[in-house]
Amino acid sequence: MTSPFTFWDARTAEEAAALLSKKGAMALGGGVDLLGEMKEGIRAPEHIVNLRSIPGLDKIQKTDRGWRVGATALLTDIADHADLRKDLPGFAESAEAVATPQIRNQGTIGGNLAQRPRCWYYRAAEFACVKKGGKGCPAEKGENRYLAIFGDGPCHIVHPSDCAPMLVALDARLFLRGPDGARDLPIADFYELPSKNALCEFTLKPGEFIEAVEIPTALPRSTYVKIREKDSFDFAIAACAIAGKIDGDHFTDARVVLGGVAPVPWRSVTAEANLRKNTIADAVEPASNSATDGARPMSQNAWKIPMTKAAVARAIRSFLPR
Amino acid sequence: MAKRTLRVGYPGNYREIEVDSPDAEPAPWDADSKLAVVGKRSPRLEGADKVTGKAKYTADVKLQGMLVARVLRSPYARATARSIGLAKALKMPGVKAAIEVEKEARYHGQAIAAVAAETEAQAEDAVAAIEVDWAVGEHVVDVEAARKPNAPRVHGGKNPNERGGEAQNTATEEACVTALKKSHATVDITFTTPVVTHSCLESHGSVARWESDGSLTVWDSTQSIFGVRDGLARGFQLPAEKVRVVKEHMGGGFGSKLGMGQHSMIAARLAREAKAPVKLMLTRKEEHLAGGNRPSSVQRVRAGADKDGKLTCLWLQSHGTGGINGGANCAGPLMSLYNCPVRRLWHADVITNASPAAAFRAPGHVQGMFALESTMDELAGKLGLDPIEFRKRNDQNEMRQAEYGEGAKMAGWEARAHLPNSGGRHKARGLGVSASIWGGGGAPGAQARCVISRDGAVEIQCGTQDIGTGTRTIIAMIAAEELGLKPEQVLVKLGDTTLPFSHGSGGSMTAPSVTPAVRAATAAARGRVFEACAKSLKADADNLTAKGGNVVAKGGASIPWAEACSKIAGANVSEQATRAQNFRGYKDGTAGCQFAEVEVDLETGHVQVLRVVAVHDCGRVVNPLLAESQINGGIIQGLSYALLEQRILDDATGRMMNANFSDYRIAGPKEIPEISVVLFDVSNGRTNTGVMGIGEPPIVPTPAAIANAVAHAIGKRITDLPITPDKILAALGKK
Amino acid sequence: MSASKPDGLSRRDFLGVTGALAGAGLLAGKSTAGDGDNRPAAGGLGPDPVKFGLRVNGKDHEVAAEPRATLLDVLRDSLDLTGAKKACDRGECGACTVLVDGKAVYACMMLALQARGREIRTVEGLAKGEDLHAVQAAFIEHDGYQCGFCTPGQVMATVALLEKTPSPSGDQIRAGLCGNLCRCAAYNRIFDAAAAASKAK
Repeated sequence: MTSPFTFWDARTAEEAAALLSKKGAMALGGGVDLLGEMKEGIRAPEHIVNLRSIPGLDKIQKTDRGWRVGATALLTDIADHADLRKDLPGFAESAEAVATPQIRNQGTIGGNLAQRPRCWYYRAAEFACVKKGGKGCPAEKGENRYLAIFGDGPCHIVHPSDCAPMLVALDARLFLRGPDGARDLPIADFYELPSKNALCEFTLKPGEFIEAVEIPTALPRSTYVKIREKDSFDFAIAACAIAGKIDGDHFTDARVVLGGVAPVPWRSVTAEANLRKNTIADAVEPASNSATDGARPMSQNAWKIPMTKAAVARAIRSFLPR
Repeated sequence: MAKRTLRVGYPGNYREIEVDSPDAEPAPWDADSKLAVVGKRSPRLEGADKVTGKAKYTADVKLQGMLVARVLRSPYARATARSIGLAKALKMPGVKAAIEVEKEARYHGQAIAAVAAETEAQAEDAVAAIEVDWAVGEHVVDVEAARKPNAPRVHGGKNPNERGGEAQNTATEEACVTALKKSHATVDITFTTPVVTHSCLESHGSVARWESDGSLTVWDSTQSIFGVRDGLARGFQLPAEKVRVVKEHMGGGFGSKLGMGQHSMIAARLAREAKAPVKLMLTRKEEHLAGGNRPSSVQRVRAGADKDGKLTCLWLQSHGTGGINGGANCAGPLMSLYNCPVRRLWHADVITNASPAAAFRAPGHVQGMFALESTMDELAGKLGLDPIEFRKRNDQNEMRQAEYGEGAKMAGWEARAHLPNSGGRHKARGLGVSASIWGGGGAPGAQARCVISRDGAVEIQCGTQDIGTGTRTIIAMIAAEELGLKPEQVLVKLGDTTLPFSHGSGGSMTAPSVTPAVRAATAAARGRVFEACAKSLKADADNLTAKGGNVVAKGGASIPWAEACSKIAGANVSEQATRAQNFRGYKDGTAGCQFAEVEVDLETGHVQVLRVVAVHDCGRVVNPLLAESQINGGIIQGLSYALLEQRILDDATGRMMNANFSDYRIAGPKEIPEISVVLFDVSNGRTNTGVMGIGEPPIVPTPAAIANAVAHAIGKRITDLPITPDKILAALGKK
Repeated sequence: MSASKPDGLSRRDFLGVTGALAGAGLLAGKSTAGDGDNRPAAGGLGPDPVKFGLRVNGKDHEVAAEPRATLLDVLRDSLDLTGAKKACDRGECGACTVLVDGKAVYACMMLALQARGREIRTVEGLAKGEDLHAVQAAFIEHDGYQCGFCTPGQVMATVALLEKTPSPSGDQIRAGLCGNLCRCAAYNRIFDAAAAASKAK
């Protein structure tokens, strides 16, 4: 059971922005993540603004710039969209990799991109950690087996989204709407490291919310590989999103982004370089090995290094002829 | 007592024995019995209720004026509530009662206070308004830390955290050292297993209602209605007959619901205070924190064998924690499975600031078998012996010997050597085996009543409970067999303490305890029907049988069942029987063995169990469809234990960190192997039905078989459960 | 369990801390301190109980519930449809699975208000009188359950799977049902039931 709140159905994006400017207002997509936080007693919004009542905000459409996916499009509908999958296979795969059929049937792309971390200390009301405005990170000397191997703190969460690393690899743009109008930015710029803002992984101005994401089709080859501890249902232990262009036996352009290992989708420029300068087959070793350059594991999570390498290797191998 | 000659044993190995069985009971079924209903695959009688949502569980009970309760639990592993302020909570909207439960918190999640309100939301809001002045104390949750002399004492004062000693009739250390020295091959390995929670999908819960005559009715999610009744009667100082406990359907127990839980007392106390019925269902988090668990273990096994592959010594030094109390002994398999001249056990229960353990499907055996059967494989390796051959040389159980043969064939044991290299560049396969061992012979004292009405309706009344094993269905099948009817023609009433007594459903005891009483009661009632209708058939009652829906005389004359019953004088005949002591019989335990084939991902350390071959025996199989379901369930719970599950406590605070179903992983659809079950049919001649339990035996060998398969696949042994990817990667030297 | 308090902070202090964060959640950014532009274009509902309509198993119902009530709460408490179960209350086990506009969802993680105007199907609405749905019949025949507590959710997830994928492969069955846990572990039989029901169609 959650704390009580007032519920608002937004009818237009403008109206949503106005409603979200109320004190203690939060936006509702599918609600799975938000309700989870509220049930744990770590969040208590006074107003909840329903975005799914905005007509057309769930549209998935091809434009002259690529694909535009509205914030309330369901993950299932993204995964099942045959035309989108042809152009952006990795994006469809990443949506399909999320959780379970039920969650994909409820969850929206906007909610997936703005979901909050799963760190045990963050999710438990008993702990007041730095991410919740308290002091320090109890995981540093505590249970950190699933936490970040990249990023320098002071909070060591991993970003839980499957779609975010893929969309960073695909160089997507986020379209935001706020009381002062609309703006857009590369999705990579949406996410912030804890050293910049420990309280939240992404940056939105007051009243602002995600309206849509636009994905160019300039990188026609893409894939998303997710490694779970429990295959049926799990967040990523490590994940790798690759998007690029292939000419014959090698990538001419490649973007490699890691998931599940850093507080934000983690781009590996060294892996990208190794991927570009070798044939695909020869790139597997150097690119996967270099993907974890600079990793600084915590006391319990060094095993995520071979996991990450495995995810990258597997992602690259998927481009080899079968 | 009547002397009866029975044919006992298993296919290919029968013998005749003489048993003493009570005069009043029907002749025991044996290997020659030809049965029409028992032994057939028969769907559950309550199936339609379960698939339509009509089946009512405790969580679904709704009573006039019922309130909902919530519990305030300690956020600290050790703390004292200097005061518990309920006044504010009592003033909250809808709140009708609030009580103090306990001021000393010895684990995270211990119940401190509780409230009852008109809605769940109100109850939760009110719990948040309870004011506790906490004095936080020192805790210890790590099992090794708790053993240290300067560790905080969990139960205060000078009470030691470690309660240990050597077992009775155990060899001396010197004898072990000598035996090991003389051995041709020895191993010395320490195995560790985690604390795991039962994670029943229906949490513990009760609905309590005080009646106008001062009696108490409780609907409870329990494996033991009489246990809950007696516990509540003691708690409220009521005569037992003033307490009625009802449980029609229950959403999983696995041992955690065998006694009266604290929640039942809390619900009844609140109901008395509020003068209204109260429902209290634990939340998932509470269930993990306070719903019981399987204790951890640290098992150092030193073992030896001679040149002929005969065990020379089994020496177990173990400790483990079941939280603030609860035994962690897991020596059962090591002390009983194999022949061994020198055997020693030293064990300590370690007390920690964690929630108390509860019986969990084959207590101790799952942990113990993992260590013992891992050890057997390591020894076999050192001896250069095939693992099955090594086991057979040390195992006197002829049933298990035969079961190994059957299982090895199905599992492809002969081709085992090729497996590790058959998975391609990034995968390795392996095949492992483990023995099972369990009792499951049942206990005397269970009662059943058979009521046959003039219209032919048959009702069996038995105060047992169907915890999902199919008890309701097999009771109907036993009665139907005796009466020549179909199972669906028998109405079974169970799960209510107003019915004749039966034990709690645990220890694989239900079917072997209940079926003989049901059969005896039904046979007696049938005798009364025969007496009533004998005249119409112009036959002696002794010469009548019931089959195919008719009562048939020796000469061939027959009348339909309903017509026979119409001759009953009065409304019905009713006979009650009590389950007798076990006869001497053939075998008193169950054997069994399992084979697991796994594929290990060498890049990610992920283990996929591809296939399990399970060979088990449980005496006479009443319903193979249901017995196989029990075996499937045991295997998958064992797989989940071997690969996924562990309770994780934060050392600094003693709090459980993964008290949900996302971070506490239990096996789901993608973790499920193909399962092949072979039910070894055994005529054991120990009761009038010869039925034995199969709830527990199938979970016992699975973790060991999987661990052995993993070792076979990667050539490295993981000695610490669960076998998670990090451990495989470390064993493979991946960085 | 709702009253566990974080170290060094009372519950109110703590919610105050996160309150300052409110808006940093799902999709929206930090709000300004005071009320923003509040055009009353859409009426706010609650926080007290509000009346609204739900269409369940082909019938329209009017219910009264607080906005914080989940679809599961309303189905079980207001409409007495207790087939869907509350087992984890976090969208992690599937015992509460119902169909909304033909899609399987976790009713415990959906506000009842989110289900307005949509077609809700629960396990109680599957059978036509005495005639069981093919999936229900297959669960009985194949013993696709033990304790039965997760069964309504399993049945609904299977129905949703087969409506979307009428002839699923073994892998598709597993993938389609991987949002549902069965602690008794009747999985193999559930898969058998799903396969049999797909053929029975």
